[in-house]
Amino acid sequence: MIEVKSVTKTYGKKQNTFVALKNINFTVPTGASVAILGKSGSGKSTLMHAMSGLDRPEVGEIIIDGRNILELSQKEVDKFRSHKMSFIFQSFFVQAKESCYDNVSLPLEIANIPFRRRNKMIEDALTAVELIDKKKSRARDLSGGQKQRLAVARAIVNSPKILFADEPTGNLDSATGGVVEDLLFNYNKKNGVTLIIVTHDPDLARRCDMQINIKDGEIESIRNTK
Amino acid sequence: MKIADIIIRSGRSIKQAKARTILTSLAIGVGAFTIVLSLAVGAGGRMYASDMISRNTDPSEIYVQPKQDTDLLFGQSKPKKYVETTAATSFSSAGTMKTLSQTDMDKIAVIDGVNLVTPYYMLTPKYVTREGGDKYAVTTEVFRSSITQDYLAGGANNIKAGVVVIDEDYMTALGFSSASAAVGQKIQIAIDRGDNVLTGQKNTKLFDYEIGGVIKVASLLTSGKTAGVQIYRDDAKAMAEYSTYGTAQEGHYMAVIVSTKKGYDTKKISEEIASAGYNAKTAEDLMSVIFQFVNVLQAILVGFGILAVLTSVFGIINTQYISVLERTQQIGLMKALGMRRKDIGRLFKIEAAWIGLLGSVIGCVLAVVAGTIANPYISDLLGIGNMYLIVFQPLSIVAVVLGLVVVSVASGILPARKAARLDPIEALRTE
Repeated sequence: MIEVKSVTKTYGKKQNTFVALKNINFTVPTGASVAILGKSGSGKSTLMHAMSGLDRPEVGEIIIDGRNILELSQKEVDKFRSHKMSFIFQSFFVQAKESCYDNVSLPLEIANIPFRRRNKMIEDALTAVELIDKKKSRARDLSGGQKQRLAVARAIVNSPKILFADEPTGNLDSATGGVVEDLLFNYNKKNGVTLIIVTHDPDLARRCDMQINIKDGEIESIRNTK
Repeated sequence: MKIADIIIRSGRSIKQAKARTILTSLAIGVGAFTIVLSLAVGAGGRMYASDMISRNTDPSEIYVQPKQDTDLLFGQSKPKKYVETTAATSFSSAGTMKTLSQTDMDKIAVIDGVNLVTPYYMLTPKYVTREGGDKYAVTTEVFRSSITQDYLAGGANNIKAGVVVIDEDYMTALGFSSASAAVGQKIQIAIDRGDNVLTGQKNTKLFDYEIGGVIKVASLLTSGKTAGVQIYRDDAKAMAEYSTYGTAQEGHYMAVIVSTKKGYDTKKISEEIASAGYNAKTAEDLMSVIFQFVNVLQAILVGFGILAVLTSVFGIINTQYISVLERTQQIGLMKALGMRRKDIGRLFKIEAAWIGLLGSVIGCVLAVVAGTIANPYISDLLGIGNMYLIVFQPLSIVAVVLGLVVVSVASGILPARKAARLDPIEALRTE
């Protein structure tokens, strides 16, 4: 369960302050899929960054499984992220010059997973996204949809509890985007992983259990679709 | 993140930027090349010098000279009052060259541990010849049993009064067919004594000697020896006495050689002689002078290498800054995935270490190859025979490689810090 309690985030100093998030409150049950909707500049990405501990709002609490991650030290937050969280980005951020295998291996190396256990985990993740035959190909030789599938494999390889996706289909056409969406929702349902998608695509948002609309740093509405 | 994973990852990124990596590491390579080669030249030079000195000097001997007026060496600064002295030979108007006499020798001989005091005879023979044969100009010196020489025939054991050692060149010039044929044969050395002013008669005396040994011609650099004929001490004395008879130099010597008794500290005796007012030098002193020269030469060369390394430091900093900029997204992603600052810093520092390792290994390999190829040519050019002047010591090569890796890591610190401090949100926003 993720509890976001009166989170406020401001940028800048004195006269030039800009409030990115204003008193945000909501709760996400474990295993739910959540869409954070809003226009660009609405603060939806900032909210995602705050929830994942990348950004640290000065006011409020973000409680994940009973622990306020805003009170953890940098080292603890890093450890928390490497074991419990994962990310998928709009522009994939796969390492073009590395092989698919090495791309997927990165989170395991960061999380200090012993070498002998990695191979199986990586192959399972690549199989799940149907890229096992591309194991040795370099990431730059993949198509856009394949790159995002590779990013999904990288995100699920260490069995995270929370999966953050920032506009996961933003750079894909509807057909390949659909494949990636299916991958994410199937993984969410099958493994009970909390899925948090930041998007401005209402169709994608409709597939989620919960929709949070953000406007000018404030919650406009929260809708439970299921 | 495990250090092994960091090393593999940094090695991989190095491989992905091949041209940049190689160019940057070549700068370090130039430094490594220069340093390794100059260390090898220094080591070779020292080995060579100690070999040369141990071959030509006896560690138990002390070379003693009178203390000279500094004016004589550095030029006269002020007019000096003339002092009447008998124990001196005038060489120039600037001052007098002091010499040593029997009194000085007696004074040295009583010092505890001194075995024998032998004058260093300045012999200026006119020529050497075989009876009835051609005459050849020659230099002579006193035979010293303590110095090992390569004998073609005969040997040190033959040498006694009336017996000499000649070198190969004189053997041929004097018309002997082989070294073994020369041993036992007679030669003559002519010594001049000033002309008789009254009669105009030339005073030249022929000294007869038997050849006791023939040695290989020592090259100039191997021995510093140019004398073609080595004669026994007593013969040298006789020659010197003949040539200086009735002159101011009679009984005065430029230097004396002091041999010490076994079990005594040569250095201590040398100090005692020095405190008695003489200029005393042991073989070790002579060696240290040459070592100092070699060391200064080496330091200058190493200095150039260090300069090259210093330049390459900026190259590494620059390359690593570019690498950090290029991989902003990657760094952002790694941070998002929970990689610690420390590990990201390490990633870039180890990358710098790879560059340093690559560069220094390239430089060292090239230095060893170049040195190995050049060695025979250099030895040939200087005529030092089988000895090599460039001597590579594995330990110093390893030390250079390690040192340069450390320097590279140090140069990588600033860019690594920049990478570690990158804000992941900013980094991931970069498209």
